[in-house]
Amino acid sequence: MPKRFDQARPFLTLGLVVAAWLAIPTVFKTFTRASFFELTAPVGVAASYARDLQEYWTLRLHSNSELIEAGRDLARLNASYDLAVQQNIEMQGEIARLEGILRLPSYTGYRSEHARVVRRDFSGWWQRLTIRKGKNYHLTVGAPVVFSGGVVGRVSEVFAYTATVDLISSQTVRLAAVIEGDTRPISYQGGLNPTFGSAGGVIEFVPLDIFASAQATKRLVTSGLGGVFPPGLTIGAVIKVEPSTDGLFKSGEVRLDDRLAALTEVTVLLPLDTP
Amino acid sequence: MLRFVLILLSTVLLWAVTAQLNHALAPWRLYVFVGALAVALPALTFSLRTGLLASFVSGLLFDAVAPVTFGTHAVLFALTHAVVFNLRDRLPRDDTLSRVLIALFANLGLFLVFSFTQVARSPAPASLWPRLFADLACSQILLALIAPWFFAIQARALALTDHEANRFA
Repeated sequence: MPKRFDQARPFLTLGLVVAAWLAIPTVFKTFTRASFFELTAPVGVAASYARDLQEYWTLRLHSNSELIEAGRDLARLNASYDLAVQQNIEMQGEIARLEGILRLPSYTGYRSEHARVVRRDFSGWWQRLTIRKGKNYHLTVGAPVVFSGGVVGRVSEVFAYTATVDLISSQTVRLAAVIEGDTRPISYQGGLNPTFGSAGGVIEFVPLDIFASAQATKRLVTSGLGGVFPPGLTIGAVIKVEPSTDGLFKSGEVRLDDRLAALTEVTVLLPLDTP
Repeated sequence: MLRFVLILLSTVLLWAVTAQLNHALAPWRLYVFVGALAVALPALTFSLRTGLLASFVSGLLFDAVAPVTFGTHAVLFALTHAVVFNLRDRLPRDDTLSRVLIALFANLGLFLVFSFTQVARSPAPASLWPRLFADLACSQILLALIAPWFFAIQARALALTDHEANRFA
């Protein structure tokens, strides 16, 4: 074989491999991807169970007096939640009554599915979580994921017993939001993830009469438009707005909750009509 | 075939270790990527066909758990394999230090090329680069630290199937 051809052989072979890969039908690629994911899933799930066990044994080391104190605090919290539940039932009845009088379409109901976090995958390229529930709990692609601080993200892929969630800090997530107390929709997109800093996102199409700064932040919440996220869930705090180049709107930055980076459990909201 | 499977299993091990590390590093918003380790030994010691297949399939494994077009890592790993394979006769490749250096350069190239394929999706690409450079620095340090261990594992595993154990060691 001529020497020049011999040197190019690796690249010719690579070209053939790439051409063959491009010619393979998408169905085969999708099947292969799911197979590879399911192959690696037990590794992450086993590690997450090991972490849970480690946490359990750590908690077992707490003294009885600490447990008594925690129980007392929890009882107080439960009492206040009981009161909130009663008020909630009363308000839901009021909403249903008003919907009936005004003939308004009712809000989509959701049921909560709590799930443990198997793996956090927070690179500069993407921000994702893998959770320990999937098709076995009827999770659906696009379902909103929340925690006590507000929006976590949305389910992007569902596998046999795991699912992946795109975080709102990820550049792949874009959603309609509103400033609390305002009804005009704003476009939010994640993507600012500095090392050692708070994650954030950018907002566009902000009305000109909205002002915010790091000292006087504004709460950004979901708008409910699009029907994926219920309205009023916290996204983050608007820390900066400035006029955009077109002069018609403003654009700005949003700081997200720092707890997003250390989540161990999240809640998936599933429409009530799903099984 | 067995050597190919062993390389794939070692890649699964590498992925599992780095996934757990990234899980732990997430609160500090740091991320490590050491994909070149999956390519280095096959590119330096295997025949072209077996090595390229091992690198390509290892890339598919990385693709399956990433939100990218399925095949992105695979093609980049295969490209890295082809470049290293093409240069391997002109490089010292029998001692661990040389292999680590080759893996470091390969990882640098992989990380930068992959970043260029992803950065366009960001709403603020300029603000993304400081984060990516911090991740790259961490990745290179980690790679330098774990490469001798990983090469030793691969060499021991391959020695089970090959009478010429010294070829990989």
